[in-house]
Amino acid sequence: MSSNPDSKIALVGSPNSGKSLLFNRLTGLNQKVANFPGITVDIASGQSVDASADSSSVQYLDFPGVYSLQAISGEEKIAIQGFINALEENLLDAVVCVVDSTRLEKGLIFALQVLETCHKYNVPVLIAANMIDVLDQHSMQFKDQGLSEALSVKVLPISAKTGTGLNELRNALADASVPPAKFQTDIIASDESINHLHAQQLAQKYGPKGELLINTQTRLDSFFLHSWLGGLSFFIIMYLLFQSIFTWAAPVMDAVEAMIQWLASVVVPVIPAGVASDFTSDALFGGIGAFLVFVPQIFVLTLVIGILEDSGYLARAAVICHKPLRFFGLTGKSFIPMLSGVACAIPGIYAARTVDSTRKRWLTYLAIPLMPCSARLPVYSLIISAFIPAQKAMGGLLGWQGLAMFAIYLFGILCALLVTALVSRSSEELRTDLPFVLEMPPYRLPSWRPLITHGLHRSQQFVTKAGKVIFAVTVIIWILGYFPNYGASLGDSWLGTMGQWIEPVFAPFGLDWRYGVAILSSFLAREVFVGTLGTMFGIDGAGENFTSLAQQIQESGLPLGAGAALLVFFAIALQCVSTLAVLQRETGSWRLPAQLFISYSIFAYAAALGMFHLVEFLV
Amino acid sequence: MTLWDLTQGTSAKVSRFKSSIESGYRTRLSELGFHPGEQIACVMSPGMGAPKLYRVNNTVYSLDDSIASLIEVA
Repeated sequence: MSSNPDSKIALVGSPNSGKSLLFNRLTGLNQKVANFPGITVDIASGQSVDASADSSSVQYLDFPGVYSLQAISGEEKIAIQGFINALEENLLDAVVCVVDSTRLEKGLIFALQVLETCHKYNVPVLIAANMIDVLDQHSMQFKDQGLSEALSVKVLPISAKTGTGLNELRNALADASVPPAKFQTDIIASDESINHLHAQQLAQKYGPKGELLINTQTRLDSFFLHSWLGGLSFFIIMYLLFQSIFTWAAPVMDAVEAMIQWLASVVVPVIPAGVASDFTSDALFGGIGAFLVFVPQIFVLTLVIGILEDSGYLARAAVICHKPLRFFGLTGKSFIPMLSGVACAIPGIYAARTVDSTRKRWLTYLAIPLMPCSARLPVYSLIISAFIPAQKAMGGLLGWQGLAMFAIYLFGILCALLVTALVSRSSEELRTDLPFVLEMPPYRLPSWRPLITHGLHRSQQFVTKAGKVIFAVTVIIWILGYFPNYGASLGDSWLGTMGQWIEPVFAPFGLDWRYGVAILSSFLAREVFVGTLGTMFGIDGAGENFTSLAQQIQESGLPLGAGAALLVFFAIALQCVSTLAVLQRETGSWRLPAQLFISYSIFAYAAALGMFHLVEFLV
Repeated sequence: MTLWDLTQGTSAKVSRFKSSIESGYRTRLSELGFHPGEQIACVMSPGMGAPKLYRVNNTVYSLDDSIASLIEVA
């Protein structure tokens, strides 16, 4: 490969071969490294961070990890097709095949397929034998020279973790001109079993001898997968996840809220009284400010899910959940997409590609929009703070607000399971099980920097993507609510008039027209609810001191039953345009998104009505 | 005897795949190391029908009964 200015290097390898970590090392780009098989669904790219001038323009492409070039799941098909297309279109200057040198045979089975394919397309390839540091620790030998001669390609021992061998790898890339002709005759056989035999022979001849001790992994597994301790620890971990959203984020949320209030108290008096001042106070600080308060929670949620992923626990959680999820028509592999759905339905829908059965994947799609996503969090948080006191129970161990949050999250998850259980029982085809095969990654301490960067990135995305919609909706709501009487009375404004029309729809569960307007606007994106409500309360309370939206809701005299109905409505309704669009893209038709949107709206309305009457009856 | 019959802490060699196994899974299992002649250890059997953990070379996989019972061991 010459050092042409637009060199593109593809990184390919099996899940858990350390490929993404190597990519991070080579590019300095903090692409998230997930410790779960096949989590990298999109192809990440990054420029080389090598100090030497001539290779500064090298671009690395991180292809999703696959076990083989023969796909058995939808996700693999997409990843493999992406790689083959790049080869066909002559986009790649070289391919780095990453193998785990501690598990050489498995890596070589894949590497032999890659060599064969690269030979076909005449693209240079080299093998990066990763995790050499682990072999060094155990004083194990790896004969890279011998393997290199046997395969007629360069084999470089590296450690993506410590950085060993990375300079050699970069240098080898700079002048890699691989003569691939030999592969076809000597090494590669078209018959898969001969391919395995070759890999086995090569691994035995050149790979490390003896078994690596994975006692720590076994010890931890015997705890986390224990018949009852495993289940118990699963519930504790999930509970802590939801508590952390409140307890860890609370001080930062308070700080953001205080900052917004302080900023409003400084900025608003400077602007001459009138339309501009009212707009700044109601729409900017009232509407957008109310939404910004929840950003720390999004960050904490992403961080905690990231920690679970990186530590290797998520794969164990999938094992624990497999049997119970089977009862609900799903598989253990549905757990990861569903948990990702707790952060956001969109990555959850993408992650559902890892579910190899088409039918189970379809059922997983039904479940994901009901998972309590982070866009629901501001709404839940607002309603809970308005009704549940911030008191602690059991000597400060449990917070009532956290407990309420746990309950509403559990409600969403139960709804998801109920739907899949019912739908899967509707046809014999959907009931059929497919095999469950999942690699258990080693346990490891999460790397904090990429996790924090990922959390910040998601929070930033939340602000910029949802923020644009919220800003637009807030401005429209403010204009409609402010005119024609210049904020004198919200009830007599254009918005008030429109609100009266829709009031009958939401009145049956105790909500006045303002909540009706906020719910309608939230069909664009759920978070809009908070901004819309903030703007309307801002107009209504013009001239008063800045108080938190939760406090304003409290003071507005919203009945408890209506609050509970709101929670239930938001837990079920599919108010997210992006989710519908991604579902359409993944399924190739509008049929499923349209069906889900209509049925979940009806389900949400009926359940909210039921909840309102239940609470009114009990209280 | 099938792989699913292995109890925690025991190991055996794969003898063959049952004919009812889908070819895609057969190939994949072979690629992961579950091929005839390979020594497989059952490292964890959580019970209550949960998938069991099997060690092949230096990798641990989790397989449920629907697939582990299609791999014959001796």
